[in-house]
Amino acid sequence: MVEAAFDKDSYLHVVESDSYVPVEADFKLKGKTADDFVDTNFASQDFWKEVVARFWRKKSAVIGLVFVLIITFFAFVGPVMNEYTYSGQNLDQKNLAPRIPLIEYTGLFDGHENIKTTSGTKTVNYYFEKQLPDTFYWFGSDNFGRDIWTRTWSGAQVSLIIAVAAAIIDMIIGMSYGLISGYFGGKVDMVLQRILEIANGIPRLVIVTLLLLVFKPGMITIIIALMLTEWVGMSRIARAEMLKLKEQEFVLASRTLGAGNMHIIFSEVLPNIIGPIITQVMFSIPTAIFTEAFLSFVGLGIPVPRCSLGSLISEGFNSFTTHPYQIIPPIIVMALLMLSFNLVADGLREALDPKLKEM
Amino acid sequence: MIHYFFLALLSFGVAMKKYVLKRVITAIFTLLAITLILFILMQLMPGSPFNDEKLNESQRAALYAKYGLDKPIVIQFFHYVINMFKGDLGVSYKISKNTPITQLIASRLPISIGVGFAAVSIGALIGLLLGLLAAFKRDTVWDTLATVISVIGVSVPSYVFALALSYQFGFKLDWFPMLFSAKDVLGSSVLPSVSLSMFTMASIARFTRAEMIEVLGSDYMLLAESKGLSGNKIVFAHALRNALIPIITVLAPLVVDLMTGSLVVEKIFSIPGVGSLLVNAIQSNDYNVVIALSFIYSAMYIGIMLVVDILYGVIDPRIRVAKEGD
Amino acid sequence: MKKKFLSIMLASALALSMIGCGSSAVSGVSEQKDTTAEETDSAQADNATTTDAGESSGEDLNVMLETPVESLDPQQATDGTSFEVIADYTDGLMQMDADGQAVNALAESIDVSEDGLTYTFHIREDANWSNGEPVTAADFVFAWQRAVDPEVASEYSYMLSDIGQIVNAQDIIDGAKDKSELGVTAVDDKTLEVKLNVPVSYFLSLMYFPTFYPVNQAFFESCADTYATSPETTLSNGAFVLDDYQPAATTIHLTKNPDYYDADRVKLPGLNYQVIQDSQQALMSYQSGDLDTTLVNGEQVDQVKDDPAFKAIGAGYLWYISPNIQEVKELQNVNIRYAITMALNREAITTDVLKDGSAPTYTAVPMDFAAGPDGSDFSADQEKFKEVCRYDADAAVEYWNKGLEELGVTELTITMIHDADDAPIKVAQVVKEQLETTLSGLTVELQQMPKKERVQRMQEGEFELGLTRWGPDYADPMTYLGMWVTNNSNNYGFWSNKDYDAIIAECTTGETAMDASARWSALYDAEQIVMDEAVIFPLYTQCNAELISTSVSGIEFHPVALNRVYKDASKN
Repeated sequence: MVEAAFDKDSYLHVVESDSYVPVEADFKLKGKTADDFVDTNFASQDFWKEVVARFWRKKSAVIGLVFVLIITFFAFVGPVMNEYTYSGQNLDQKNLAPRIPLIEYTGLFDGHENIKTTSGTKTVNYYFEKQLPDTFYWFGSDNFGRDIWTRTWSGAQVSLIIAVAAAIIDMIIGMSYGLISGYFGGKVDMVLQRILEIANGIPRLVIVTLLLLVFKPGMITIIIALMLTEWVGMSRIARAEMLKLKEQEFVLASRTLGAGNMHIIFSEVLPNIIGPIITQVMFSIPTAIFTEAFLSFVGLGIPVPRCSLGSLISEGFNSFTTHPYQIIPPIIVMALLMLSFNLVADGLREALDPKLKEM
Repeated sequence: MIHYFFLALLSFGVAMKKYVLKRVITAIFTLLAITLILFILMQLMPGSPFNDEKLNESQRAALYAKYGLDKPIVIQFFHYVINMFKGDLGVSYKISKNTPITQLIASRLPISIGVGFAAVSIGALIGLLLGLLAAFKRDTVWDTLATVISVIGVSVPSYVFALALSYQFGFKLDWFPMLFSAKDVLGSSVLPSVSLSMFTMASIARFTRAEMIEVLGSDYMLLAESKGLSGNKIVFAHALRNALIPIITVLAPLVVDLMTGSLVVEKIFSIPGVGSLLVNAIQSNDYNVVIALSFIYSAMYIGIMLVVDILYGVIDPRIRVAKEGD
Repeated sequence: MKKKFLSIMLASALALSMIGCGSSAVSGVSEQKDTTAEETDSAQADNATTTDAGESSGEDLNVMLETPVESLDPQQATDGTSFEVIADYTDGLMQMDADGQAVNALAESIDVSEDGLTYTFHIREDANWSNGEPVTAADFVFAWQRAVDPEVASEYSYMLSDIGQIVNAQDIIDGAKDKSELGVTAVDDKTLEVKLNVPVSYFLSLMYFPTFYPVNQAFFESCADTYATSPETTLSNGAFVLDDYQPAATTIHLTKNPDYYDADRVKLPGLNYQVIQDSQQALMSYQSGDLDTTLVNGEQVDQVKDDPAFKAIGAGYLWYISPNIQEVKELQNVNIRYAITMALNREAITTDVLKDGSAPTYTAVPMDFAAGPDGSDFSADQEKFKEVCRYDADAAVEYWNKGLEELGVTELTITMIHDADDAPIKVAQVVKEQLETTLSGLTVELQQMPKKERVQRMQEGEFELGLTRWGPDYADPMTYLGMWVTNNSNNYGFWSNKDYDAIIAECTTGETAMDASARWSALYDAEQIVMDEAVIFPLYTQCNAELISTSVSGIEFHPVALNRVYKDASKN
């Protein structure tokens, strides 16, 4: 892109100065003149501008982005929107169905629920039975009488923090590993790939469980565990991209000019593969959310009474057939989050990859 | 497709054999390294496989002595490896006391492989179809629909699927058995296989779509089109075939994951497979079972990756495209 | 019909994909064909598991198990599931009656010497193994020697040494003596003599514990290393015969033993066990008639509490919180300990959270497992220690403030460790909330971990508060009170009291051990010390919420040793 823009510019110059005899003043030493600066700046802006434009053109990606933003907003604002806290229990008000002010008059979300007992189905509204006319649990309350609205959003917050942190750390480690392995090739590559094979060959459940057993359970441990399960994929992509690019002219040129290995890897090659990397990060966020959910189900998730989307789902799972409203909010938020991140990732991939653009 | 493979294999001959041999030897060393690491990891596990609460010191010492757990880790490792070559993976300490692990696994692994294989087949097939639909009807409502279906597949945990399916099709409609039964293996594998296939389906659909879009835009497809080949022929003879190779790469690790058993689905449907065994083994410190199952997982994983790599080496897409040109 | 048809349709679709792994289906496929052929009129195809089951009247009983069997070797088994299945097909010298009292089984009569140190069992003449061999005294000697043999390394060997006090048992376990020196001899084929170090008042009630069950030596040796790993390698002398089992199986089947000496009593034609780990699947299976009895979890109780089949069955476990008295300075203060135990609303925990019928407990020995000389329950009076253990928020605050003053602080942070299982996670969260709401300035941090790790940390004293449980090994308060003697490995708080140690020693090996009612009141004194010093904060005695189909009657439930006995069960 950069080269193309430059060519076009110089071509125009040549046409204009057809009958002009150059004088010495026309030639300047190459340096940081205003013109140069504007030129490159314009050129790079042009690329990212086009990426953004391409991204905006893809409606599904934009919808995905909007949802990611909305959920992120609620994840941080939702827990403080009512008087409840994520851990505050009220055993007298446990297992109440969703009830929302105003909407309750439509007959939906008015706090009633159908309980299927072994002797038949009965419809009850515990808000009336327990005489709580002014109590509202928008998403209902769980088996400790905690507000599911507050828990869902603070769960989303925890899940997002864990997933984004894991994805970023995993990007840094996986990317460096893959780039170094691909760049040096030969023996280095051989050794690094064998290590990777060993790391990948041990079932993740074993590594993750042991990690969570040995270290104190908590957010940081979960982030490390998630990172361990994801970095391999990232390093594969980085290595493959490096193998593609390292024989290209610009790398060769840089090396001829005496650039150091690290400079070539991180300043020359890295900017050229940032597209696939970002895409992979976007894809690994939903994977991390999902893996965290799995860990919660096995009992290795975030310690109680804190919650994540995954732990909420596995808590709600136990009352799936009794009080289904308890599992629905976290599932919907999680599905939406996964869907939106995937849509954004798809959009980004197509926006960043000019070859796909031509389709 | 197969005959191309063999032709290619023949033409590579000696070089190929050398390559395969080298890879197999590295694979064996990798497996040994994994076993050693597993041994070290087991030492880190808190607690012991025995009834900590009620045992006194002398009993615990007797138990450790009986199973040779009092010996240094290196000696334990060598004993284990030597016995492994004899086909002896030790005995279980806790899950099924004193049962040889080979016996335990021999009865359970086939069940996990069966259910996993069914899940992969269903998932890969439906995923492929969804992906193709999305790629050909790109940016239409079909594309969005396929995307949504596949994303739901990856975003709803399989245990939720499993329970929902069991409730609807097992309990309410009474179409399938809710629990795995050795007397009706096929019928009772339906629900677990379907719930397991969701993730594969979604991943394959997404990947197929991306690959097909890339292949359809490539130069040789334009060439084929300009040669006047008909739409269907292009798709199936050229595009799909080229898209399949990377899809298989994605599928391979999924196959290993599924065939070594899903603990969650096995737990819900009471399937006597190896997935639930691994989790129980980890939670009860049943070292030999953890090591044996992890080893089998690693061996399958490395084996399948090896096959995929060799396949890659043999059928280099560029070579084949050249052959197809004439 | 619908189910069969559809599963066959889809199964054939699946068959294609399954062909690749024929071995998985090998055992099932041929049988599958049979059922398909007959499916038109066999309405009970699901229940009819073996051909000979149909000959007896009635149907097999379908029972849900939570966990698979760990071992069917009576000297190796340690868990309730294994014990239950072993007892289905093996009788000991004694068995349990409906009230949990020991009644004669293989023993026809018992002579106890006057000093209470020698027990002579006379074995029934008509007691036979299912291979036709008679059950002899030598079978017991062989089995009991296995139980203490260091090479066998039985985890329940302490049942013979610490608890049973059989002569030389401890020395054999320690490797100091040969197993042939164990104080048990076969006087003749049908007479077994047991010698004890000290009189053990509950010795007969140990005899129904599977560790004391007989093993036929000749048969055991013919199985080599595979003893009790398949129906072929097990031998029955009890009500049922094992005919479908493999290690860690999810289904187990037993058929009535026609040669059992008490066969007339057994009404069930067979027993069908199904392992189901997910409680919702279990309930659905029960509702669709595939199970006759199942466990339900707290969330499901709302669904089933009005059902006549719903019952709360005592499980014996006492759940309690153990403070680390030795290591944690703040918990050394008895006022802080009183404050914590009085701030706990045990009613709320059992009725609002567990909902399975578990009973709030205010004594160190739980209810309903140990009956005294007069037949009354040791812990029937739950208000016995109400001065020091009750729910009283005001008193708790008072003690709390006093304690804080003595410590010279205004805030406290205490960590509580608990198991990463369903019930403890729930209970820990409520406990945290209750303590933090009642006692201002207190922060309780929860740390969950697998049970193995939690036990290890508690035994090593690396904890502040620990949520733990203890199940009775035998029907005597000593199974609990024995824990808090100085240096016992389950005395998690490392609490030590000379008076207490003296009472316990006196009740185990001293004069008092001989006098049942004096011993009983001494044990109360011991319990009083534990409660006065708030060595533990008892929470509740565990119950299991179960559904037992109304067509089933006569299953006996016990909190100790054998959880369920089916000898008198029937199903219409």
